[in-house]
Amino acid sequence: MAADLALLIPEIIVLLTIVFALVAEMLRLPRIALGVTLLGLLLATAMTLPLLGMDSSVFGGTYRIDTLSVWAKLILLPATALSILLARAELGGSDREGTVYVLVTLVTLGSLVLASAGDTMLLVLGVLLSGLGAFALVAYPRDDRATEAAMKFFVFASVTGAVMIFGLSYWFGASGSTLLSDLARLETRPVIASVGLIAVIVGLGYKASLVPFHFWAPDAYDGAPVSIAAYLSVVPKIGAILALAQVVRDLPLSTNWAMTLAAVSVLTMTYGYLAALVQNNVVRLLAYSSVAQAGYFLLGVIAVGASPLAFEAIIVFAAAYAAMNLGAFAVVMATGRNLDTFAGIGRKKIAMAVAMVVFLLSLAGIPPLAGFVGKFLLFGAAMDAGFTWLVVVAILNSVLSLAVYLRIVVTLYAQPAAEGASANTPMPLVKLVWIVAAVFTLGIGLAAQALLGSL
Amino acid sequence: MLPIVSITLFLPLLGALLVMALRKAPAPLVHGIGIATSGLTLIGALWMWSRGVNETGFAQLEELAWMPSIGAAYRVGVDGISLPLVLLSTVLFFLSFIYSVKVKERPHAYVVLMLLLETAAIGTFTALDAILFYVFFEVSLVSMYFMIAGWGHEDRQRAALMFFIYTLLGSLPLLLAILGLYLGSEPHTFDMRAWIDNPPLEGGAAMLALIAMLFTFAVKTPVFPFHTWLPAAHVQAPAAGSVILAGVMLKFGTYGLVRFALQMTPDSFRDAGIVVLVFGVVAALYGAFAALAQSDLKRLIALTSVNHMGYVVVGVAIAALAVDPAVRATALDGSVLQMVSHGLVTGALFLLVGMLQDRAHTREMEQFGGLLKVVPILGWSFVLAAFASLGLPGLAHFPAEFQIFLATLRVEPVAVVVILGIVITAGLYLRAIGKVFLGEPREQWTGMSDLNTREVLSLAPLLILIVVVGIAPSLVLDVIHKTTVALQF
Repeated sequence: MAADLALLIPEIIVLLTIVFALVAEMLRLPRIALGVTLLGLLLATAMTLPLLGMDSSVFGGTYRIDTLSVWAKLILLPATALSILLARAELGGSDREGTVYVLVTLVTLGSLVLASAGDTMLLVLGVLLSGLGAFALVAYPRDDRATEAAMKFFVFASVTGAVMIFGLSYWFGASGSTLLSDLARLETRPVIASVGLIAVIVGLGYKASLVPFHFWAPDAYDGAPVSIAAYLSVVPKIGAILALAQVVRDLPLSTNWAMTLAAVSVLTMTYGYLAALVQNNVVRLLAYSSVAQAGYFLLGVIAVGASPLAFEAIIVFAAAYAAMNLGAFAVVMATGRNLDTFAGIGRKKIAMAVAMVVFLLSLAGIPPLAGFVGKFLLFGAAMDAGFTWLVVVAILNSVLSLAVYLRIVVTLYAQPAAEGASANTPMPLVKLVWIVAAVFTLGIGLAAQALLGSL
Repeated sequence: MLPIVSITLFLPLLGALLVMALRKAPAPLVHGIGIATSGLTLIGALWMWSRGVNETGFAQLEELAWMPSIGAAYRVGVDGISLPLVLLSTVLFFLSFIYSVKVKERPHAYVVLMLLLETAAIGTFTALDAILFYVFFEVSLVSMYFMIAGWGHEDRQRAALMFFIYTLLGSLPLLLAILGLYLGSEPHTFDMRAWIDNPPLEGGAAMLALIAMLFTFAVKTPVFPFHTWLPAAHVQAPAAGSVILAGVMLKFGTYGLVRFALQMTPDSFRDAGIVVLVFGVVAALYGAFAALAQSDLKRLIALTSVNHMGYVVVGVAIAALAVDPAVRATALDGSVLQMVSHGLVTGALFLLVGMLQDRAHTREMEQFGGLLKVVPILGWSFVLAAFASLGLPGLAHFPAEFQIFLATLRVEPVAVVVILGIVITAGLYLRAIGKVFLGEPREQWTGMSDLNTREVLSLAPLLILIVVVGIAPSLVLDVIHKTTVALQF
């Protein structure tokens, strides 16, 4: 038991952080809450480092401490810290500022549970934990739009969650165990295995905004504060994708799960970019883009077990995605939601515009940026697993994505519509976030070995 | 030994970083840094040239671990095919920087992009790792997109976007082929030398990889019917951008055709050789005829590029089909030399059109006339470059095209119809010279000033090199030939 707890030190630190931050908030000390949260997240990240290379589990195999779970912490905890900086810049000084930090950290904890799940019950726990906080965060502004967005989000999550629990009960009934590692027992019962699989795709697919379970995402992101949208598009999504990888690595091949996921991936990529193409609201555009990126993640999930590249690909792309997406949202925060407000930024704020170009080109997968390395590994993994046709589809979608992202790039360097339209006050915290994100987006591309070598 | 390839490769990048750091620097200083950096890079390339190439394989290798767990590394080096192209690139960039001193609009960004483009170009030719190659190949696209969009002419946004999407769409199949070659190699590696020594794919897989690569390089070269991005991009690009686009970036396509398609899937290339040959012949003839129909001088020159690059494709296809190694070497010698000659000649022509447009603010041939009397230096320079472009003996294109045709005659005599292209280009250039430079000068142009020092400095080296390569092609051919005779496939 003591050894188990030693492996859980990062999670325990996050939990204590939540408690202390909540206490600080109750004492009306939001600055302390902010400090505690940031410190706790960084400490938890640091305490994860000794676990690198670990392949173990705790609590009788229900909670995994493996490559995926350790890297989930190393990616999601810093990403959470950056999101909190964004939230501070956007919501700082508002009424219940401290609760934002508490809820965000709670959602992160849920996402970590998802990424480490070795048991179906922990999947459910992770989905609930990361869901509950998220609804409240979306509704935080308490205006009509936010409330409506949170309501949609909530209803959607409840239904998909119920479907997932219902389907998981089949797995439990047939295998007699809630452990994922016992799923191999379903080898001879493909129908039941498939029912459970579809339920898991519904439940985790909503969280990762896979098509056709993505409908909440654009509305929720648009209704929520931009910093919350940035956070939701990164942390819970990566948690859900990693959870999916944890599930399929134990799933018997007779369910044809790879082909099912491949179909979802095609739908997700294509629909995401097609819908993004017609958006004039940059937050909605990035929302659809993040839907499409989830489809790329699936290329790695499909290759789990079939290609040694799969985990590397998922993790590198997760790190890349976290950096570039947070960066892009940070620039949106500093500029505005409407595409028109981007006009002429390239001539006024040179550095920020260059950073935005870096994020967008990285999202499109242009070398040598982080997004390219991630997608390249994903393509390699999927081809290695025999899904060449899927890679072809993904590559064609990359062309489509270019049209999406270049719309913003072109606007950045176009003539401004009207002078003084975007007279934003400088936001040092936001600037810090996009600088850090840009450094990582460039750095992961060049120093990918540092990531790969330590996997 | 000093890692001179890497130094040459990253010097422009360092210059770009320096310019970025000096955000307050005045324009002349920024242009000075650009010229100095590209000058040093040129010296680096000359140094590489003096070290020479090996009888077999690649020379001047420099390696550094990058992603060992997936077999990717930083690997650079040169052989007789890439070294002349590196030298050509550095020459063209250096002269473009001299010509670009006139750019007053956002000089910092301009110089940074040009320097970035230079690193990308040298990197594409020297990379011996497929990922590294792809990275440089794509970075060049991004820089060129911003060059056209930022400093181009009237319709630049549309042309830039079309260029970017078209060529990116073109380069993605290459990514697929690279992944296929990677997964086919044992042990898995991205080392291009390993792929060349032991082609990793065979049979149907190799043919699919070849088709993907051919598509990519056909768009880049460009080969009819994938050339439609070229006239728009060229016409809209700033003059120096056109020089780089035609002089350096089109070579990525034909270089890739040799390096990847021919060397990594040789058997499939031999099977598909006739198809490639047909595409080459059609491109060469189409380019000539299409150029004949133009009234815009810049568009005309852009389309002759399709013609000249078509000859290169013909040469490479003949090399694949040839059985006799001597003929094969002749065909490849001609193709590589043709790339160099085209870079020099088209570079000069685009500079000249740029100079003319700076003065007249139009590119329509009909509006000129008799300029030879008004601006004799510009006029005679154009005549020289145009004669070189139409393949006059004693000038750069002649020895290259001669060898290509010679090899074609030995292997596939029917394909020699491609010679018709020369007749047509001769006609169209004579017509252009007649309209623009001969006759009586028009009233409106009588005040036109002749070339100034900056323009002469940027142009003269190209004209000298055109003559030197034309009279003594062995200066370049010796290096090329060393590699082409030893190629095993």
